[in-house]
Amino acid sequence: MNSNGSKFEDVLKSRGIDMANAVDAEDYKIPEAKQSSRNLMDIYYTLKVSADMEAPYWYNRIWWENDGDVTVVRRAKAMASCLAHITPTILPDEKLVMNKTKNVRGAFPFPWVCASFFNAQAEALMNEVDAPAESEADSVSVVGSGGGNVTESYGNIVCLAKKFGMRKEEIPVLVKTSKPWDEISVEELSEKYSKMTPNYEQEQRIMDAVICMFDSFAIPQGREVMNYYMPLEYGFDRIIELCDEKIAEVMGEAGDDGEFGMYRGYYYAAMKEITKGLSAWCENYSKQAKYLASIEEGAEQKAIYGKIAEVMGNIAHKKPATFWEALQLTLCCHLGVVNEDPQSGQSIGRLGQVLQPFYEKDIEDGIMDDEGVIELLELYRIKITCIECFASAGVSGGVLSGNTFNNLSLGGQNYEGLTAVTPLEYLIIEAGMRNKTPQPTLSVLYDEKTPEDFLMKAAFCTKLGLGYPAWMNNQTGMNYMLRNYGPEGMNLEDSRAWCLGGCLESAPGCFLPLHYNGKVTMIPGGASPTCGTGVHFIAMPKILELVLTNGLDKRTGKQIYPAHNRKLDSYETMVDQWKKYMELTTDVVNKVNNIQMDIWRRHNMPVVNSLLKPDCFTKGRDLGMMGGRYNATINFESCGTITLINDLASIKKNVYDDRKFTIEEMTDAMIHNFGFKTAYETGIFSPDSKISTENSPKYETIFTACVNAPKYGNADKYVDSILKDYENYMYGMVRGFRSYYGKPLYMCQISVSTHGPQGFITLATADGRLAGTTYSDGSLSAAPGTDKNGIYAIFESATVYDHSMEQNSQMNLKLHPTAVKGLNGTRKLLDIVRAYMRKGGFHVQFNVVDSNTLRDAQKTPDKYRDLMVRVAGFTQYWCEIGKPIQDEVIYRTEYED
Amino acid sequence: MSKKGFIFDIQSFSVHDGPGCRTSVFFTGCPLQCKWCANPESWENRKHFLFAEKSCKWESGCRACRDACPNGSIKFDENGRISIAYDICNRCETFECVGVCPNNVFKQCVKEYTVEDIIKILRRDFSNWGPDGGVTFTGGDPLIQHEFLTEVLKQCRHWQIHTAIETSAYAKQEVFLEVLKYINFAFIDVKHMDREKHYEGTGVYNDLILSNIEALVKSGWKGRLILRQPTIAGYNDSDENALQLIDFMNRNGLYEINLLKFHRLGETKWNQLGKEYEYHDHGDMTKEKMEHLQEIYLDHNIACYIGDNTPF
Repeated sequence: MNSNGSKFEDVLKSRGIDMANAVDAEDYKIPEAKQSSRNLMDIYYTLKVSADMEAPYWYNRIWWENDGDVTVVRRAKAMASCLAHITPTILPDEKLVMNKTKNVRGAFPFPWVCASFFNAQAEALMNEVDAPAESEADSVSVVGSGGGNVTESYGNIVCLAKKFGMRKEEIPVLVKTSKPWDEISVEELSEKYSKMTPNYEQEQRIMDAVICMFDSFAIPQGREVMNYYMPLEYGFDRIIELCDEKIAEVMGEAGDDGEFGMYRGYYYAAMKEITKGLSAWCENYSKQAKYLASIEEGAEQKAIYGKIAEVMGNIAHKKPATFWEALQLTLCCHLGVVNEDPQSGQSIGRLGQVLQPFYEKDIEDGIMDDEGVIELLELYRIKITCIECFASAGVSGGVLSGNTFNNLSLGGQNYEGLTAVTPLEYLIIEAGMRNKTPQPTLSVLYDEKTPEDFLMKAAFCTKLGLGYPAWMNNQTGMNYMLRNYGPEGMNLEDSRAWCLGGCLESAPGCFLPLHYNGKVTMIPGGASPTCGTGVHFIAMPKILELVLTNGLDKRTGKQIYPAHNRKLDSYETMVDQWKKYMELTTDVVNKVNNIQMDIWRRHNMPVVNSLLKPDCFTKGRDLGMMGGRYNATINFESCGTITLINDLASIKKNVYDDRKFTIEEMTDAMIHNFGFKTAYETGIFSPDSKISTENSPKYETIFTACVNAPKYGNADKYVDSILKDYENYMYGMVRGFRSYYGKPLYMCQISVSTHGPQGFITLATADGRLAGTTYSDGSLSAAPGTDKNGIYAIFESATVYDHSMEQNSQMNLKLHPTAVKGLNGTRKLLDIVRAYMRKGGFHVQFNVVDSNTLRDAQKTPDKYRDLMVRVAGFTQYWCEIGKPIQDEVIYRTEYED
Repeated sequence: MSKKGFIFDIQSFSVHDGPGCRTSVFFTGCPLQCKWCANPESWENRKHFLFAEKSCKWESGCRACRDACPNGSIKFDENGRISIAYDICNRCETFECVGVCPNNVFKQCVKEYTVEDIIKILRRDFSNWGPDGGVTFTGGDPLIQHEFLTEVLKQCRHWQIHTAIETSAYAKQEVFLEVLKYINFAFIDVKHMDREKHYEGTGVYNDLILSNIEALVKSGWKGRLILRQPTIAGYNDSDENALQLIDFMNRNGLYEINLLKFHRLGETKWNQLGKEYEYHDHGDMTKEKMEHLQEIYLDHNIACYIGDNTPF
C-alpha cells in the first residue's frame, strides 16, 4: 500500500466495496527475525561444511571392544558411546542446543557403512596431510563461492566427497578407523553377495552407465517420518525402566514366535543402552551450559546458559514439562537418528500437532507467549538447516544437491477425521517467514477441511519465493496409504496420520495417545522404516535411447543391454522393447538393492530409530526386522518421466504416424545431436543453448519436426494418453518385484537433482532436447518452454491418471512475482493450488522468482548468499546447487500475467 | 453454430483482468490505434504473424526457414543475418513459414476459433478458476467481432460462467448494449476526457465512448463497471483531466477507476510487426505521480486503484 492507504480504505468502505477478499496485506510487514536468529544466521553463512572423527572414533572403539556380542546390542553400545562422547558445542545466542557433531555444520564419515573409498584412498589422503598448505590467496579464493561447500582442499583442510572439509590432523584417524572395515563394511559385504546374483554383470553395466545412479546402502535410512512419541510420553529414565521391565518379562521367552520371540530380549537390552547414550548426550550439554554460565559475565546470556542447563538436565531424564523442553527433546531424538547412518530425508513430520499440547499448556500457564515460541521455532530452523549428510559426492551433490530434506508437514486430518491444523502451526509458518532458511522445508497437507485462514497464511508464505510451503493433496495421500498399506492392515485412522518423509516421499504413520496437561491427545508420527530406498533413479529416457541403439551406449561405446536385434517397425514394437529393458533393469537392480539393504539391517540396524518407531517397542523388534507397523515401503524411483513421454510422442507422431522420416533417421539425428555441438564439447548445459555445426542443415527438418511434435502439458490427448499408458504400465510392472521385506515395490516419482546427471549421460532425445542437458524435472513438470497453453492446460495433462496410484507425483511451477502481486495475489495463488488439488494433483510447488534475478545470481553469487530456490522437492541456497540444475531452474517456463 | 472468430491468444491463470483467476480471450481488431498500445498485433482483424527476431539462431548458422517462404520474404545477407520483408508478410494469408522453425521464431498469432472451440476451453478451465473467476474477453476490442462474441457470451450464460470484458466502448450503441447484456463485469477505457486529445492519442474522438457509458448506466445494467485509464506522462496525467473524468463519473453515478501505469512491454511486438514505436523514451509515470492522481480521485470519494492493487 502507499501513502493513500487509509484514505483508500475509507473510500472503499463508504462506497460499500467489499474489501473482505483483499486481505493481502502488502502492508503486513513481516517482522524481522529475532536478534538471536539473526546473530546465529550471520555465523551460519560463514560456516564451512565440516567433517570430524570424534564420533566415528568412539563408535569404532566400543564396537570392537564388544566383538562377539549380539549385533543389535553391540551396535547400540557403539552408537550410545558415540553420542555420549560428542563434544557439546553451544554458541552464544543459542536457546536450542545440540549439533550432530562438535561442529555446528558438521557430519562424519561412516566407515562401517562404506569403507572402500577411504581404504583405497588411504595413501592419497595421507599424502595430502603431508602436502604443504596452499597459499593464503588460494585458500581465500575458495571461501565465499558455493556457500558452505568445501569443494577442494585448501590450507589445512582436506576436501572429502567434494563437499566436506576435514582438518589434516584428523585424516590419520580416518584412515585408521576405516582400516578394520576393509571387506566387511555394508558396502563391501553386500557387494560380495551381490556378485552371486544372476546377471550381476548386467547390473554393473547399468550402474556404470548411470541408468541407475544410487546404491541403497549409501543412505539406508531417511525419506521417512520421525516419531517422537516415546520420549515425550515417558522420558529417558522411564524408558530405561520400561526396558528393564520388558527384559524381566521376555528374556529367555520365545512366546509363540519361534523366529523372533527370543530376539525380543536382546532388542530391549539394546534399547536400554541407546537410551542411556541419548541421556548422557543431553547431560553433557547440561554440564557444558552450566560451565558457560559460570564464566559468563553478561547477566542476560548467563541466564540463557542457566536455562539451557536446566532444560538439558531435565530432558536427560524426565519427560518434558514445557514447550521448550519438548521441542529440545524432539531435536535431540532427530539428531540421534541422523547420526546413526548416512541419511537424508529424515523428516520431522507434523511437529505442530505433536507439540500443540505443550504449547497450549505454556500459553495457559503464562510461561511463554507467541513471540517467545516463534523465537524458539526460528532457532529450530537454524538447527535443522545445519544438518549435513556425509555421503559420496555423487549422492550428496548429484542426488541431494547438498540438502538433507528434513521436511515438516502441516495440516491434514487428525485422528477423528477433522482438520488437524493447530494454533502452533500458524506460528511455524510465521517463523519460516521471518527466519528464511532452506530447512526445514514446509509442506501443507491440503484438505478441504483445512481452515481458509491457515491456507491463506501458507499461500502468503509460498508467495515470498522461499520455495516453501509446497502443497500436497491430503485426500490423495490417504487414498494412496490405504491402497499401499491396506494389505498390512492399515485402517482409516492410520491413513490420516500420513505425511511427507524426505522431499515428497509419502510415508505411513499412526496416532498415539500422549498424556499431558491432564488430557489425552492423539499425536501423529511415522510408523515405518525408510520409504525411499529401492531401485533408485532410473533414467527412463536413457533406456529408450538404448532401445534405438540396440543396447549400445553411443556416448561411451559400451554395450549396456543385450542387443535386441529387432526391427523397430512399429511404435508398439519399440515400446515393447523398452519394457523388456525396463524389466531387466528393475530385476537386476532390485536384487542387488535387496542384498544391500539386507546386509545393512543385519549388521547395521537402526537403534535410535528402532527405539522411537511404532511398533518396534511393542513388538520387541528393531526396524530392520520389520518392527515398524508398516513395511511395504521400498520403491522404484523414476527420473525423466516427461522427457520420456515427449520422446515417445515425437517418435510416434513423426516416425510411425506421419512417416516424416524413419526410425533409423531419427536415431541418426539423436546420435549426432541434431547437428549441434554437444554440451560435452561446449560446457554449456542450458537447455536453450544451440550451437550449429556444418552438420546442422542435414538435421534441420528432423529437428524442427521433433521440436514441434506434440508435447505434454498442453492438454493434448495425443501425448497425454501416452503418459496415462505409461503410468498404468509402471503401476503393474513395479509391483511384480519384491523388496527385502517381501513386499511389492511401488513408484516414487521425484527427480530430486538426478535429472541433472542423468540428463548428462543421455544423448539428444526425440523431443528436441539436446545431449547432456537436464531432463524435465519432477514427474509432471512440463519440459522447459514446451507448455504453451498455460497452467490450466498443464493441470489437465497432469491429471489424466489417478495420482493415488503411487507414492507421489511432482509438479514444479515457476511464477513470475508479478503473477501473484496485488491485493489479491495470495488468494489467486491459493486458487491455483486448489484448482490442482481438486483435480487430484498430488503435489505442486512454486518458485516465485524472476529469472533475471537468477541469472544475475549466477554471475555474482556473493551478492546472493541468502537467495533460495525450490529445486525438485526441496529448497536450497542458490549458491550451493550445481550449475546444470541452476540452468534448468532458470530455463523453466515462467508464468506471468 | 458455425460462426468463427479471430483470436490472437488465450491465456490461462490471468489474474489482473477481473475478479479471481480467469481465462482471457484476446480478440483481434480494434477501432482505436493508441500510440502506446501493448498489443499492436491485435489491431487488424485478420490472421497475421509475428517474427521473434531475438529467438532466431541465425548466428549459430541455423537456416531451417531458408526455403520456407514461397513469396521470398525470408532472406539471409552475406553475414548470414536474417531479414524479413514485412510488406510481403503483411499481405500473407498462408503462413508457410510457421512450423518450420525449431525456435518458433515465426508465430501465427491469430487463429480462427469456432464458438464451440472457445467454450470447450472455458468449460475445461472452469474447474481451475475458483469461486470468483471466469472469462475475460479482451483484445484488441472484442466488440469488433460482436456477432461472434454474442454467440460465445450466450453459451457462457448457459454454463453459468462469469463474464468480464475489456473494451473501448467504441461501437454502435445498440451493439454495445446488446453485448453488455451478457457481461457481469466491465472495464471500459477512457483514455482522455478532451475529445481532441483523445483523437490525437487514439485516432478517434471520445463522444461515442462517453455516450455509450451514459447509455449503459441508464439502461439499468446490473454488472460492475470499472473505468480504466492507461496513464501516460505528458498525455493524460494532468489534474485537469482527472477532475473532468471525476465530473463525468459523478454525473453517471460511477465510482471505480483503475489507473494503469504506462509500461513498454509491447515495444518488441511493434518491432516484430515492423512498426515504429513512438513511446520508446517517454511517457513514464513515477510512483509519486500515480499516487498523486489516486489522491485526487479518493478526495472525490471515487475508489481509485493503481495497477494490480484492486480489491477483486
